Amino acid sequence: MQTLEITPTVPIPEHLTGEIQSKLAYVDESILDADVSTDRIVLSIRETTAKTGEQTSPEQMSLIEAKVGRVVESMAKGAIKPKVVILEDYMDRPALYDKDPMDELIQRGELFQEGTGIYTFGPLLTALIEFFERQFLKLAESYNAKSYRFPTLISAEYLQRIHYFNAFPHSLSFVTHLREDLDVIDNFASNARYEAGGLNTPPEAFSKIHSLLSPAVCNHLYFALADKPLPGSELAATAVGSCFRYEAINLDSLERLWDFSMREIIFVGPKDFVLKNRESARARMEGFFKEIGLVYMVESANDPFFIGEFRKQAAFQSAFQLKFEIRAALPFKDSTLAVGSYNYHQDFFGRNLNISLPDDSPAHTGCVAFGLERIAYAFLAQFGIEMDKWPAVVKDGLT
Amino acid sequence: MDIKQKDLNQQVQAVLIEALKVKPELVTPELSFGDIPQWDSMGHMEVMMLLEENFGVEINPDTIANLVSIPEICKYIDQ
Repeated sequence: MQTLEITPTVPIPEHLTGEIQSKLAYVDESILDADVSTDRIVLSIRETTAKTGEQTSPEQMSLIEAKVGRVVESMAKGAIKPKVVILEDYMDRPALYDKDPMDELIQRGELFQEGTGIYTFGPLLTALIEFFERQFLKLAESYNAKSYRFPTLISAEYLQRIHYFNAFPHSLSFVTHLREDLDVIDNFASNARYEAGGLNTPPEAFSKIHSLLSPAVCNHLYFALADKPLPGSELAATAVGSCFRYEAINLDSLERLWDFSMREIIFVGPKDFVLKNRESARARMEGFFKEIGLVYMVESANDPFFIGEFRKQAAFQSAFQLKFEIRAALPFKDSTLAVGSYNYHQDFFGRNLNISLPDDSPAHTGCVAFGLERIAYAFLAQFGIEMDKWPAVVKDGLT
Repeated sequence: MDIKQKDLNQQVQAVLIEALKVKPELVTPELSFGDIPQWDSMGHMEVMMLLEENFGVEINPDTIANLVSIPEICKYIDQ
């Protein structure tokens, strides 16, 4: 492993160090780790390049440095400081546990890593996730939210309509299959081998991309409502679904999974309807989190836009207070993890997907989303794996 | 609207036409964020940046959230 130390040409504002660090994961396949501070970037680089297996040359190091410079320039130059609004702060609640539960979960057979960012959960974690699911379903029922089942795949055509490719290209997961060609399929059947570098199949054997793995739950509802008036002018819906976001070297624990599940409660209708329900959902969840004694805060946030759009989109989200994250404490590393969010999209989906209200104006949308694996992980990080140490409401609530 | 205000309104309209890359007839004196598809979140930030360049408007969360119509922008610049 080699170290590359870079002095950024543009000073990095404190509030952007984490955002820039997470984006450096996508700069070059040779980067193993990145550490970003306001005036210094330290990268750990493979001794050999991921592509050719040859020694990483000084020229390649220069190219990496130039690419890092592009990221920093794009995100930090003229950065707009966000307005941080804290709606709830329960970070002073006592946490009973201070270790990372991952090792013990793996030792007990409660967690099995199948691949990068891909995990199988055992009975304890599953029961805990189901407990949280029941609470989120109760919240959904309080709005008479209609249940939906959405596909795991998502249409590239629709994602394009909501400009997803511009905003989040880095985390997309594409779906393909062998081309409908007997020679290609026969060749694959005879010769396909998984090797350290991946499947040995040539790229031309695969079909064009028409579908991706879904990165979010609520998009499917908006697609289903597209190009017609919204029936009844207001809609509350709920669904649980698998979401896929590729996070490169950031996929290093249960904090960031490539394949994870979200329960969402989705509101579509006039602005007031969406905002009123987003706020009441937050207030109702505050009561539940109090009951279980979760150490957390709710603060304004932005989505992880890619570098080209980050500066403007993040500033816009911040200015209009469009997103608030539920950030649960991870006491073992003295940090927090986003386990859910309260979102308002204004009329973005209504306009881009042509979802209209009775007065012909575009519908507004919002959603309340909970990451099921993340909330279970944060709970175990705060309360430990031994059930006798858990709050009674959780213990008694397991089936 | 007096002559001075009318002149400012026209200058702001010109900023919007340039920032949003739209035909002049689409930009009316009372235009607000969301009235035309081009004045969306990204379009709004383009407007803000050009206002900063032409009028020295500081881009911060408050101005981004408040300057959402041509009359609001004119009022802010006039102060």
